[in-house]
Amino acid sequence: MPSLTPEERTALQDAVTRLLADRSAEADVRRTMETEAGYDPVLWTQLAEMGVTGLIVDEAYGGAGAGPLELEAVMEAAGAALLCGPLLGSGVLAAEFLQRLDDADAKTRLLPGIAAGATIAAAALTGESGAWTPEGVAVTADGDALSGAASYVIHGQSADVLLVLARTPDGLGAFEVDSGAAGVTIHALPTFDHTLRLARIAFDAAPGRRLTGDAWAAAEAALRLALVGLAGEQAGGARRCLDFTVDYAKNRYQFGRAIGSFQAVKHMAADLLLETESAISAARNAAAKLAAAAPDADAAVSLAAFACADAYVKTTADAVQMHGGIAFTWAHPAHLYLRRARADAQLFGVSAAHRERFLTALGA
Amino acid sequence: MADANTANDALRDEVRAWLADNWKGLPKPKPGPGGAGWTVSAEHKAWLAKVVAAGWAVPRWPAEWHGRGLPDAQARIVEREFAAVGAPGTGQDRTNLWANTLLACGTEALKAKLVGPLLRQEVGMCLLYSEPGAGSDLAGIRTRAEKVGDHFVVTGQKVWTSGAATADYGMLIARTDWDVPKHAGISFFFLPMKQPGVEVRPLRQITDENHFNEVFITDAVVPAENLLKNLGEGWGVLQTALAYERSVMGEGARGARSGAPESKTEEPLIALAREAGRLGDPLLRQDLAQVIAYKRLNALNTARAKADLAQGSSSPVMSLGKLAMSRILHEEARVRTAILGAGSLLEGPEHPRAEDANFLTLNAYFTSIGGGTDQIQRNIIGERVLGLPKEPEVDRDIPFRQVKSSR
Repeated sequence: MPSLTPEERTALQDAVTRLLADRSAEADVRRTMETEAGYDPVLWTQLAEMGVTGLIVDEAYGGAGAGPLELEAVMEAAGAALLCGPLLGSGVLAAEFLQRLDDADAKTRLLPGIAAGATIAAAALTGESGAWTPEGVAVTADGDALSGAASYVIHGQSADVLLVLARTPDGLGAFEVDSGAAGVTIHALPTFDHTLRLARIAFDAAPGRRLTGDAWAAAEAALRLALVGLAGEQAGGARRCLDFTVDYAKNRYQFGRAIGSFQAVKHMAADLLLETESAISAARNAAAKLAAAAPDADAAVSLAAFACADAYVKTTADAVQMHGGIAFTWAHPAHLYLRRARADAQLFGVSAAHRERFLTALGA
Repeated sequence: MADANTANDALRDEVRAWLADNWKGLPKPKPGPGGAGWTVSAEHKAWLAKVVAAGWAVPRWPAEWHGRGLPDAQARIVEREFAAVGAPGTGQDRTNLWANTLLACGTEALKAKLVGPLLRQEVGMCLLYSEPGAGSDLAGIRTRAEKVGDHFVVTGQKVWTSGAATADYGMLIARTDWDVPKHAGISFFFLPMKQPGVEVRPLRQITDENHFNEVFITDAVVPAENLLKNLGEGWGVLQTALAYERSVMGEGARGARSGAPESKTEEPLIALAREAGRLGDPLLRQDLAQVIAYKRLNALNTARAKADLAQGSSSPVMSLGKLAMSRILHEEARVRTAILGAGSLLEGPEHPRAEDANFLTLNAYFTSIGGGTDQIQRNIIGERVLGLPKEPEVDRDIPFRQVKSSR
């Protein structure tokens, strides 16, 4: 699937949108978010059959070999439908982390399974600080024995294999750890966003296998790609949320007229259109720059990271306000989007940190 | 296909040869007196006359109106060749607001008299739309025009008119029927400006500049042939004119006015913070990043809208540009002021950075009020892009005579 034409990319996005309309409707999302695993195995298999779970995995390892542009397009659809599952954690973050290392043996053993959706991998890149920086790593390796803790590990509780960043005497190292190994304790964290699964993983002299390659460079590359995917999810989610909010404003009558005719509501909607369209532009631009390996790709990714995070939070928060009382109920979907937006705004770094990175990338 | 390519190549060669023979460059334009408007030099007018005579000014128009009857794709070839050598004057069939409006809606007599001179910029023009009592609600105008014999007599007051002092004609909307609803009683005229009943007074802006005028009209006379379309059809003509105006309004926001040099190699805001020794301030850095982000996001939105347009689908993003620009300008002004701190208390040529920050602070309203306030723009986006219903309008269907106005 490498370098799809824009038309093919749109077709892929449409196909995912159709599948999710069928399988990740609001009722499906609500049912799935109550399950322990937090994803629907049937839908996961269907996504695998479409090549989505292995979208960015090299063709040599059984993936689709697609890039940031295709990922962003798919994630817009996923975000719009509040897709629950380890797509971003396993199929993007962990897969790209492994892919960016030099360990041919591990890639050959693990990537085909990850691409096929049969293996769930989780990248354990940060500790309790949730900083997603080298300083945030709180696991230490003594030889191949890992001790310490990783946290905010996406779908860590479902993972078959853990890819762990750990401090070693010669800098950060990447380790493959069997999730069932002795000394590994996986604790599912209760999450504010019920459609998300996070785990804290404690290591007590757990046996790891060191993977060759520059661990932090690989982690950075994986985070960069995951941020592009996340930006797509945020842009797609924001746009969907605005759409149903505008629809409500057209159909909800008070004082004998649609509330969307009141300028107090209409102006909020207009402002949100600017936010959501800017988010879409930012996400797609980041994907394009990363796909082209442009010199300003870092700036573009950082820009998308905070622009999309902030736009998604603002859109979903205002959406609740614009709906009024109905959106204060559990039964209304607006809070599901607000929860997702607030979660996405914390994953892989906060907006303030991305703004700082953006400015640094501009030479300031 | 081969034939079209051959025709395009032939046209390109013809334009190139013509430019090679005729284009010798032009002196740089100078600001008009008092910084108001730009004067058209004699050399510029002579060049335009050549372009018009050769049919390149309006290549899409028929030959009887100085054109060549070319399809859009070929007219673009002409425009590209002119742009390649930096020669002005072509593409006026897209960009000349006055000539386009006149050609679309004018009487044969008026077209014969003015289309050529408008293309050659031999006549000066201004817009007589807004009134002190009709800003956002432009259809609420109260300047009146009455038919007397073979002409109209006009009385009223117009405002925000640039170029009024030098204009030969003003495109005027005036009320000709007070007993029908507001949009239906408006007519559109070319008002001769150089007559005793037209008095132009410069308007001092909050920036202490005079870019606009007030125009007081007292029993001014307009020949009947200067009426565009029919009586009462002025609102429709205005929409045509506004569409041309919007199509040529670029990203035309003005930046600094002090003339103090700004960095070309990095973002001016970053350079300004660096110069002020504030680049290490983490709070300021957040603001810098956010304002630069607003600018970049707007540029990305515009690029995406153009790409959509090129593919034949219209984009909602285009209508967001003005609102985005308002925020950019106000926020940039705020951050520039924050960088300077107490320095922004000062003004004048010895304090160019303060001059720029303070000017930008006030001139940002040019964008957030002019050409439709941000609030009106949000209505337009809400209604035309998102499809939200309009507010009930108390004045829409009643005779204008009964519409309430400010005291």
